[in-house]
Amino acid sequence: MRKARVGLLVAAALIAVPLAASAQPKGTAKPDKAGTQPKEVNLDEPAADQPATPPDDTPSDTGGDQGGGICDITPEVCQNQDFDKLAQRPLNVEMYAVQQIYALRYHRFEVNAYGLQTLNDQFVSHPGGGVAVNWYISNVLAVGVNGNVYGNAVSSFNFQTSRSARVGLPITEYQWNANVNFSYVPAYGKFAGFGDFIFHYDFYVIGGVGAISTRPIAVVDPDNRVFEFEPKINFRLGGGIRIFFNRWLAAVLEVSDYIFFDKLENPQIPAGFAEAQNKDTWLAEGTSFTNNVQAQGGLSFFLPPTWEYRLPK
Amino acid sequence: MGTFLSRLPRFRSSRARTLVAAAAATVAVVSASTADAQEILLTGPLAGAPAVRKLRLHREGRIELAPTVSFTLLDEYQRHIIPGLRVTYHPLDWLGFGVWGGYGFGIQTNLADELQKVGIEDRRCADNPSSIGCFLTEVNLTRAGNNPPGDPARTGTLGGDQLGAMTWFVAPEVTAVPFRGKIALFASVFADADIAFFAGPAFVGLRERKACGGTDDNGAARPACADSFSLTDRVAIAPTFGLRLNFYATDFVGFGAEFRGFPFSWNTAGFDNHGTGQDNAFPDQKVDGADSEFKFNTAMSVYATIAIPTKIKTTE
Repeated sequence: MRKARVGLLVAAALIAVPLAASAQPKGTAKPDKAGTQPKEVNLDEPAADQPATPPDDTPSDTGGDQGGGICDITPEVCQNQDFDKLAQRPLNVEMYAVQQIYALRYHRFEVNAYGLQTLNDQFVSHPGGGVAVNWYISNVLAVGVNGNVYGNAVSSFNFQTSRSARVGLPITEYQWNANVNFSYVPAYGKFAGFGDFIFHYDFYVIGGVGAISTRPIAVVDPDNRVFEFEPKINFRLGGGIRIFFNRWLAAVLEVSDYIFFDKLENPQIPAGFAEAQNKDTWLAEGTSFTNNVQAQGGLSFFLPPTWEYRLPK
Repeated sequence: MGTFLSRLPRFRSSRARTLVAAAAATVAVVSASTADAQEILLTGPLAGAPAVRKLRLHREGRIELAPTVSFTLLDEYQRHIIPGLRVTYHPLDWLGFGVWGGYGFGIQTNLADELQKVGIEDRRCADNPSSIGCFLTEVNLTRAGNNPPGDPARTGTLGGDQLGAMTWFVAPEVTAVPFRGKIALFASVFADADIAFFAGPAFVGLRERKACGGTDDNGAARPACADSFSLTDRVAIAPTFGLRLNFYATDFVGFGAEFRGFPFSWNTAGFDNHGTGQDNAFPDQKVDGADSEFKFNTAMSVYATIAIPTKIKTTE
């Protein structure tokens, strides 16, 4: 009779098991050995996969008879202390839930592919693209390189201004640009969107030095002058925002100023055909301080895509 | 569980122990079938706590006053610095209604300065009126002299006689704040922050070169453009929109930055660029509406914010 009752209970348990399993997502929480309890998280206790107390043959480092506690290290502190009384005193403690950094940059590579558009040259548009690779020495400081290639399109504004005012405006083509950079992340944070999702972001500033290859477009004397590209030293200052989609992919928007001293076409044409074809007469005296301000937008990939936190013990 | 049961004398019988264990397992499984699989039961100090406590509602039910300074971007001939004020009331924390207004001060760009020097001063057209440079630019570049009766005398400067400028702005706008969060600066200074989007109509006061050449809408002849270089005012109505990044330093004081677009057509140079030929792509010796070009005008603003009342609401 008792066997029959036990059998009925076991059968009821077997019938009930599929009901419990139906609400579980695939491949997630496995039933514990009892096969029955919902997962209960007690934040005051250690994780389930860690032993609550060390094995008997392992020396404890948490105080008590095994030693290692504060009273063993500095016994004078514990003398004449009523620990029961101390334990009962009221506490007014502010507790903070501190989240791990969502997208750790420390010792990761950032590969950034972007499109670019120059902003401040109204006469020649320079759309293009580029790639940057950064290595994060710390979580906020990176060293890297980037390179840009440019297209060139003379604007209608240039044509109209020249036609209306009868003046030749010196204009320049860009070919490529390469830099060694340092970048720094002074600010980061997160936003809740529509109260529904959270995304993380950071602001960064960047500075570097490199070279930009440019040449004048012959406007004053196009019949005789054909310029070749020539690299010039440039300096880079910029800043941008990164918006993380996940821990390894982010959208990046940046504005950078590539500063260099450009050589422009000579607005004067020397008398005589031979002199006009003399290359030494083609460029204007001195150099022109030029700011090539460009907007860059693209995607950043952080490698390796995963990492392990080193938690304080 | 077995260890616990074995400590109790009345459960020392193995059959009874088996029976009770099976019953307990059954009850546990049946009760589990009614529980939500996503629910995590917390028993620590955060048990039962809401996701966010004491959420600061920086905007709800408050009027936000924001003195602004705006700088137009990518200007061709004149930059504008626009001191102004924005007043916004937020009936909800994510929704506000307000108005922005400002007065524009024009500053010539380097291009305008170069044209002034090369195209006007160096040519000395008063002394060489028949030179080809002066003859071909007499419609487009001013030079000192008199205008037709009723108009002020020419100054001989581009900025005084022909360059377009934006003089004032009034823009009612609706503001939505879909993103709110925090920012950490140097990992030591923390502030609430949000991203707001806004849109509305903009009324922009424009000062442009007065129409000349040809006839007006009533058929009356206008003065020839070579003889007329003066400015007149009109109002352009355009959409305006953009986004703001707000930072809240205290409960009622903050600061931020804004990007604003306000596209419309206008004649920035006072040139005769259009009016005849295919697609009106060639000059017609007249300066009128056909010479206006569509520009995506943009401005960057920085501002401080003061919220009234100064006491902030918080959630529970």
